[in-house]
Amino acid sequence: MNSLATYLIVSALLFSLGLIGILLRRNLIGMLIAVELLLNSANLNFMAFNRFLTPDPVVGQIIALFVMGLAAAEAAIGLSIILAFYRKMHSINIERAQRLKG
Amino acid sequence: MRMETSSLNIIMQATFWGTVALTIAGASIAVFPRNILYNVLGLALALTSIAGLYNFLGSFFIALMQLLIYVGAICIAIVFAIMLSRPLHLETPPRATPKVAMGVAASAVFFVAAVSVVLKTDWLPSPARVADASLWSVENIGHALLTRYELVFEVISLVLLVAIIGAVITAGFSRRLSS
Amino acid sequence: MGAFFTDPILLVTVLGTNLSFLSMVVILIFTRSDPKLSSRISVGAISIAAVCAVFLLAKLYGASPLQYQTLWLSSGKLNIAFGYYLDPLSLLMLTIVGVVSCLVQIYSLGYMAGDPGYSRYYAFQSLFAWAMMNMVIAGSMLQLFIFWEMVGLASYFLIGFYYEKWSASQAGKKAFVMNRVGDVGFFLGLIWLVIGFGNLGIPELNHAASTHALPQNLLTVSALLIFCGVVGKSAQFPLLTWLPDAMEGPTPVSALLHSATMVAAGVYMFSRIFPFFAASPDAMAIALAIGTVTMLLSSTMAMVTYDLKQVWAYSTVSQLGMMVMALAAGGYFAGVYHLTTHAGFKALLFLCSGIFIHEFHTNDMRIIGKQGGRKLKIPMVCMAVGALALSGVYPFSGFFSKEAILGVLAAKPNKIWLAAGLFGAVLTAYYSFRLIFHILLPKGGIEGKHHDGRAQSAHEHEDEHHGYIFWAMAIPVMILACVTLVLGFFEHPIEHFLARPDMVHTVQLSVPGDFAGAPISTLREAGSPHLPEHGGGGSDLLLMGMGVSAGLSGILLAWFEYGRKGASRKGFLSYFPAIWKLFDYRWYIDIFYRKSLDSFVYSGLTALFTKNDRRIIDGGIDGLCFFTEGSGRLFSFLQSGMLQYNLLIMVLAAGAAVLYLLI
Repeated sequence: MNSLATYLIVSALLFSLGLIGILLRRNLIGMLIAVELLLNSANLNFMAFNRFLTPDPVVGQIIALFVMGLAAAEAAIGLSIILAFYRKMHSINIERAQRLKG
Repeated sequence: MRMETSSLNIIMQATFWGTVALTIAGASIAVFPRNILYNVLGLALALTSIAGLYNFLGSFFIALMQLLIYVGAICIAIVFAIMLSRPLHLETPPRATPKVAMGVAASAVFFVAAVSVVLKTDWLPSPARVADASLWSVENIGHALLTRYELVFEVISLVLLVAIIGAVITAGFSRRLSS
Repeated sequence: MGAFFTDPILLVTVLGTNLSFLSMVVILIFTRSDPKLSSRISVGAISIAAVCAVFLLAKLYGASPLQYQTLWLSSGKLNIAFGYYLDPLSLLMLTIVGVVSCLVQIYSLGYMAGDPGYSRYYAFQSLFAWAMMNMVIAGSMLQLFIFWEMVGLASYFLIGFYYEKWSASQAGKKAFVMNRVGDVGFFLGLIWLVIGFGNLGIPELNHAASTHALPQNLLTVSALLIFCGVVGKSAQFPLLTWLPDAMEGPTPVSALLHSATMVAAGVYMFSRIFPFFAASPDAMAIALAIGTVTMLLSSTMAMVTYDLKQVWAYSTVSQLGMMVMALAAGGYFAGVYHLTTHAGFKALLFLCSGIFIHEFHTNDMRIIGKQGGRKLKIPMVCMAVGALALSGVYPFSGFFSKEAILGVLAAKPNKIWLAAGLFGAVLTAYYSFRLIFHILLPKGGIEGKHHDGRAQSAHEHEDEHHGYIFWAMAIPVMILACVTLVLGFFEHPIEHFLARPDMVHTVQLSVPGDFAGAPISTLREAGSPHLPEHGGGGSDLLLMGMGVSAGLSGILLAWFEYGRKGASRKGFLSYFPAIWKLFDYRWYIDIFYRKSLDSFVYSGLTALFTKNDRRIIDGGIDGLCFFTEGSGRLFSFLQSGMLQYNLLIMVLAAGAAVLYLLI
């Protein structure tokens, strides 16, 4: 509980689960959910460092705040893209998005 | 006192590890099941548990923000998207095994790498670290946001503006095209 | 340059030999469209050259040999000089070349009149004259080789003169290629000499050889290789088949190049460096064998052909073989003397044949006889004179030179060479008189010329017979006939003339541009050619008897078969069709060459090169294309458009990098 390593390992685990989600899920919304997990694990990392290592604890919290803000913006755009994609393909299976196949 | 401290300790430990377990469980539910609603609910659980972890890391403000932004806004948005795209009625093609294996292997590799870094590094706290409780207050955060990190604050608001406009346009155009 | 104008001999030499070059350049560049002017320029140049040659002969008669040289190539220890070497042999040959070229060019005024390529013909005749003259007085072997090649070039041009005719251009090509094959050996011999001896000057070479200063293996190898050049140029076995084919050229060309002068260049070169050859008994033995084989082979080939020019062509090859035999047996004077007399009577025979061909438009001796060949008195008489000289009948020049050769052959311990020489004499007389009798006494009498419906042509021919064309062709023929009659009696003066060289007087010319230098003249030893001694009186008369009887028996045989009334005119060989075929097909040498060319060069080398081109070069380029295309296809496969695979690779790479940095 009071060691940095614990939090870092937890965040690493979250990140790996997020990676699995991105690489394996074919549902676009499922991928988006996994991306949120990734961002959260990064946030957790920042907060952990902030708690144990940094001289000024404000900085880490502000970083976490901004990451959250950016995640929100990205989620919004991502969802609208998914909606646009759905209207085109009538499916949210990522394996249908192969227009760029060369 | 000692008994109180130790039992308090045990309760703290148990809560901590319970929160961690909930996080991992939520993340697993967010990733593995096929039903998208399960995934969203799992995500909400994970995010809530992470808010709890933020509490343990000393910043209840950020924990609050987490709940507000992530669980309150993003998860709801995702639910809206699910409702609009109706994925439950659509096809579920079979998984290709090599792809699964490769994916699991990739993230396993990454996990091993990250953990080795964590364990091998000698984490040294900064010597300028001061044990001052007033530094952890919300007031401090607000002060910093408006003085030192003013630019970042404004930029993030700009980013949010662009994101909103972009989201509206992206969702709006295709509607016009498909109607 | 100062020495140039003060020394009359040098001036005359340079003028005489190079005037023809000027004539060729002027004709080719300026006067091509004006045939009469071109012919006048060329004939003028060669006449002056002939006069210069006679002048030099007269001036330097009895004097020691004179050498002019200027340093041309200097590389390390190797110094090659260019210049003129005027000794009795070269002066004699220069005179022969000058006079015969002049007569032939005058003859061509009549023979080639009306031909569309008149100017071109005279340009190439001038080229030949220039090259031949320079070759004759060359002072170093390299200079001789260069002009030797140029003479071959002139021969190629003139053989393929009627280039629109397929057989003519093929014959020109064949002559050039066969000459070249011999010249490869020649050049290798020169290189061997340069490596071993270091100097290519002719008097130096002869001197070193006669004083036994050269090692034996160097001598033998380089002598054999240089002899290859003789084989190629003088049409010895096995490179003899180009000369009969060279009869595709105009008859004056055959008279000049392929009887009197160019093919004699090989024999001339042999006699030029005679001490060098004589110092290597092995090379001499091989040369003797080759000469004998050539002589006998080509005599047999002449016995079965009905083409006028081919008979004389085979005869030329045979007589060249005889000259090589004489030289290889050690008879320097005999070989050179036969060269001289042969130039005279062979040119005469060819020019007379040319008159017949010009008149009757056919080469076939039977048709010429039937159409009244013997009515043309001048060529008939002169041809008979030439044939008698060729057969070695007294008092014509051929008798004396043939006796000299037989004398040299008799001096050899092994009598087989003498027997071969005598047998060759019989055959020579037989085929020459076979031709003479075909024309003189045609079977069934004269049927008269076919006019082909041109009624007024009789009058045209009458005019022609007495116009300038007639005299242009008749005068050289008559001059040569007179020469043939009297040349035999000049045997001893010529022998005396040729036996002179002891000290060489060398004039070193300064390089043009260096005005301070004066010509340096030095006296040096020259090599003396070994002259055979004449045998005792008794054996001499016996030899003469044998020679004369050989010639007469050949003539008798020919008369028996062709000449007398009621003769069958079939020839004894027609009873042996296989042998007739053997002789007719030139002992299958041509067929052998064709087959080996086809199988070795075309099927072998050419096929190899074609395969290389198709499979390796084309295949390589095609392979490159396929590779590019294939790799492109491979890379496009990677662009699957599937997002998750891209992400997979990214993550794997990042993880691997981190692990690598850690471990």
